[in-house]
Amino acid sequence: MAEELMDVLNEVDELDELDELGEDTQKGKFMTFRIGEECYGIAINYVSEIISAQTITPVPEVEDYIKGLINIRGKIIPVIDVKVRFKQEPFEYMDRTCIIVIDVKSTTVGLVVEQIADVITVDEKSIIPPPSLNQNSYGRDRYVFGLVRVADEVKLLLDPEKLIRDEDPTMPE
Amino acid sequence: MAEDFNTDSMLDMFLYESEQLLGDLQNTVLEKKDEDCFDETSINEIFRVMHTIKGSSGIMMYENITKVSHKLEDVFYYLRESHPDNVPHLELVDHVLDVADFITGELDKIKEGEAPDGDETKIVADIDKFLKRLKSGIEEQGEELPPENTYVAPSQFYIPPTGTESSKYFKASIYYRSDTEMCNIRAYTAVYSLKEIAEDMEYMPDDIITNEDSGAVILEDGFHMLIKCQCSREDVLNAIGDTSGMDRVEINDCTKQEFEMGFHDHGPEQIVIELEDKKEDKEKKKEPTPGDYVIKGKETGKGKKLAKSQPKPSHKQSYISVNVEKMDALMDMIGELVISEAVVLQNPDLKVPGLDLTNFQKAAGQLSKITTELQDVIMSMRMMPLTNTFQKMNRIVFDVSRKLGKDIELEVIGENTEVDKNIIEHISDPLMHLIRNSVDHGIEDKEDRIAAGKNPRGKITLEAKNEGGKVYIIVRDDGKGLNKEVLYNKARSNGLIGNRPMSDFTDREIYQFITYAGFSTKEQVTEYSGRGVGMDVVVKNIQAIGGKLEIDSMEGAGSEMTMKIPLTLAIINGIVMQVASSTFVIETNAVKEFVRISKEMIVREPNGEEYVMLRGECYPFIRLNEFYHLSDTVTDIEDGIVVLLEHENKYISVFIDQLIAEQEIVVKPIPSYVKRVRGISGCTQLGDGSIALILDIAGLIIGQERS
Amino acid sequence: MKILLAEDDFASRKFMTNYLEKYGECDITVDGEEAVDAFMMALEDGEPYDLICLDVMMPVLDGYQALKAIRDIEKERGIQGSDGVKIIMTTALNEERNVKKAFEMGCTVYSGKPIDLEKFEKILKKLGLI
Repeated sequence: MAEELMDVLNEVDELDELDELGEDTQKGKFMTFRIGEECYGIAINYVSEIISAQTITPVPEVEDYIKGLINIRGKIIPVIDVKVRFKQEPFEYMDRTCIIVIDVKSTTVGLVVEQIADVITVDEKSIIPPPSLNQNSYGRDRYVFGLVRVADEVKLLLDPEKLIRDEDPTMPE
Repeated sequence: MAEDFNTDSMLDMFLYESEQLLGDLQNTVLEKKDEDCFDETSINEIFRVMHTIKGSSGIMMYENITKVSHKLEDVFYYLRESHPDNVPHLELVDHVLDVADFITGELDKIKEGEAPDGDETKIVADIDKFLKRLKSGIEEQGEELPPENTYVAPSQFYIPPTGTESSKYFKASIYYRSDTEMCNIRAYTAVYSLKEIAEDMEYMPDDIITNEDSGAVILEDGFHMLIKCQCSREDVLNAIGDTSGMDRVEINDCTKQEFEMGFHDHGPEQIVIELEDKKEDKEKKKEPTPGDYVIKGKETGKGKKLAKSQPKPSHKQSYISVNVEKMDALMDMIGELVISEAVVLQNPDLKVPGLDLTNFQKAAGQLSKITTELQDVIMSMRMMPLTNTFQKMNRIVFDVSRKLGKDIELEVIGENTEVDKNIIEHISDPLMHLIRNSVDHGIEDKEDRIAAGKNPRGKITLEAKNEGGKVYIIVRDDGKGLNKEVLYNKARSNGLIGNRPMSDFTDREIYQFITYAGFSTKEQVTEYSGRGVGMDVVVKNIQAIGGKLEIDSMEGAGSEMTMKIPLTLAIINGIVMQVASSTFVIETNAVKEFVRISKEMIVREPNGEEYVMLRGECYPFIRLNEFYHLSDTVTDIEDGIVVLLEHENKYISVFIDQLIAEQEIVVKPIPSYVKRVRGISGCTQLGDGSIALILDIAGLIIGQERS
Repeated sequence: MKILLAEDDFASRKFMTNYLEKYGECDITVDGEEAVDAFMMALEDGEPYDLICLDVMMPVLDGYQALKAIRDIEKERGIQGSDGVKIIMTTALNEERNVKKAFEMGCTVYSGKPIDLEKFEKILKKLGLI
């Protein structure tokens, strides 16, 4: 009986256009956002939610990019300012500033970004490693693992594990 | 320990029972180690234990365990029947412990799902030699040997299923694109492929073959399956495949209960919690009767269902085992409850002037009382006595002291102290290390002790007690203690403290050197206390559960290591205060006094340190907004409030802008992602949703001392 | 070796027959009643089974009922103890009371599912069947 069913399906298939393969539906999707002039992306499987900026409670004596703590439904989560992490000039928090909450391994962190953009689907093959960027620099380039071109824009894809973990070697432990 | 096992399954019963028996066996043996020989009760007990294990391991075909227990059973059979004199006691003790260790090792392998492949031949051969000597000894005494210990080989066997626990449960849903035709047939192909790998399955809608309209239902709501299998999510995904028309496939793990509930309402799941002490034990549980397992005629789309609906026999036990995740969830919730309570009781809506809140206050009081009781009960549910952990230490002291030729007694105090289960898991290793250290480095050799006028038998005391919301676990020995100069020199030569002179440090700080990474040099290493897995790792483990290690010592007299560990869920009474735009909380117990002061009461040292004079006493003074660089407004001394704090008899005062309230707060740890900040021990959520940082008085005091 | 298999699930049946075929002739039944009937038939024909693999959860009669019936029939004919047919119950039920009951009723081996083939083979050897 199975073969007959397969035949039926095959006939129906011919009328369909070839779509993306039924892979793990999250692979290849990236949450994109703007900071300054650039557009960045993070793999969507790290993103657990997106919230609008809220009061951040500062914690004294922490690194400059750790802005402090926020309270999401009772869970207290640290928040980092991505622009400061990139060692760029911080931006002013406004209404459309958002916090992307990501889960990396067992750590939950919020990323403050200037503006949320779309979720894009990216074919692994279209991701180009960043050759011209200096991987050893201490700024943004450290955290970018690839570039992809969508429409007319280049989006820089960030590695969340590096983004939150990588220690600046010049800073004392 | 009981909670770790589902003591219904045959394999788990075997593991649990055997472990219990071996544990009791070890305790018996260690108790009697100093005697000349085993008494009749012990001999009978040991015989019985080996006999039982021999039998049960035989049924399960764990032959190496069977052989080893059989051999030892033989020895004790002869001891029981012939009562020979002059049995080499310590040698026998060693043999028993060897057997116990071997079997425990094999049981551990079985628990982990590995094959119990230990080689028993050497142990068996050694015991055999011992047995031969025993037998000839009996004959020399002129006694006749009793008839051979009869052995009936097992004739019935049990094979545990492979990968018992690895049955996984998934809930999978397939959604088809809106223009797809014949979704029900497509769904069937998915089901068909899954049947190859699934042990059991249920799907909805279930009439996909018989009912053409089910296709429309699937388009609308999706096609859902509950799958039980041994495979990974990947395998399930691959089996479902990717016939076109599929818009997306979602696969999520689900629990066994959810799988068994299925898609149809089987009625509320029974969770019987019987708290009265009904001594109905396992035997009274409903025995399976032939006919209980007849299957109803098969229905499409549904998993196998028994013809007789089996009501779960009511578990009238006095204990229930609860999934640890549920306990954690419960703990979190009680914390949330406390916060919610604060939100209600401090609600701005209530601050209408002229409102008569007497009845409200009465009711609020009652509510608070109940929440507090609830907290206490819930926290007590996770508490377990330290007994097992402490008992393990007995064995370690025995082994290590014997191998080093030292005579050491272990005294255990407060082993019934209860501690959160989570804590027990984390202190076991550090505790072992501390004990080993005491045995190896602390207690001197017999000759040295005698020369120093001490009792040749060394003493190690292991003590546990609850104090001030913390658990203290103390390892105390009467050994040679720590020599400050040696420690200082070692730390210095290993580059750990720069060039600071010894006078820079307090005694306690010098003792802490041994916990610095890189402190241990080759001379410190022995087989038993090792290196690297050294004190620095011990301290890290303790800090991981929010605790700390204090070290005290008196040269020549001994050392004392104290682990101070906070209880997991801390709900404390705290005073909420404002400094600049930040809110802080201090534990009420630590607050001694609030004062308003005038400028003249402040004394300023040339190095910037400040002190406040209160009633003739001088206290260190910290301006929190400067201490933490909180910028913002600088309040005038006369406008703010000074809070006098005390911790372990040390005093410090802090300057704050404003007092806000006194309330119960739930201590939450600062997310580990944020590195430790001195003087801050946690954070909490206030009634209005904002976050306050909790001040750690000890940290502030140390900070002050250092600067 | 003559083997009788009683198993109501298609996939399990396929799996067991594939495995057991190499040791002997395999007869298949799909419920408890059929299994007892088959056992009876073989006995009457003078060619009794050497090994019976019984599933526990089956339609009409379950594994325990079939086990009881088979042992009762043997008792009636004076077949006792180790002369009886070797019966292996296979099932996903692993509670101690199930195993104990099965042993009480005369089952030779109780194997949890999924079956540990290595141990299964070891036991067949131990029982002298292969």
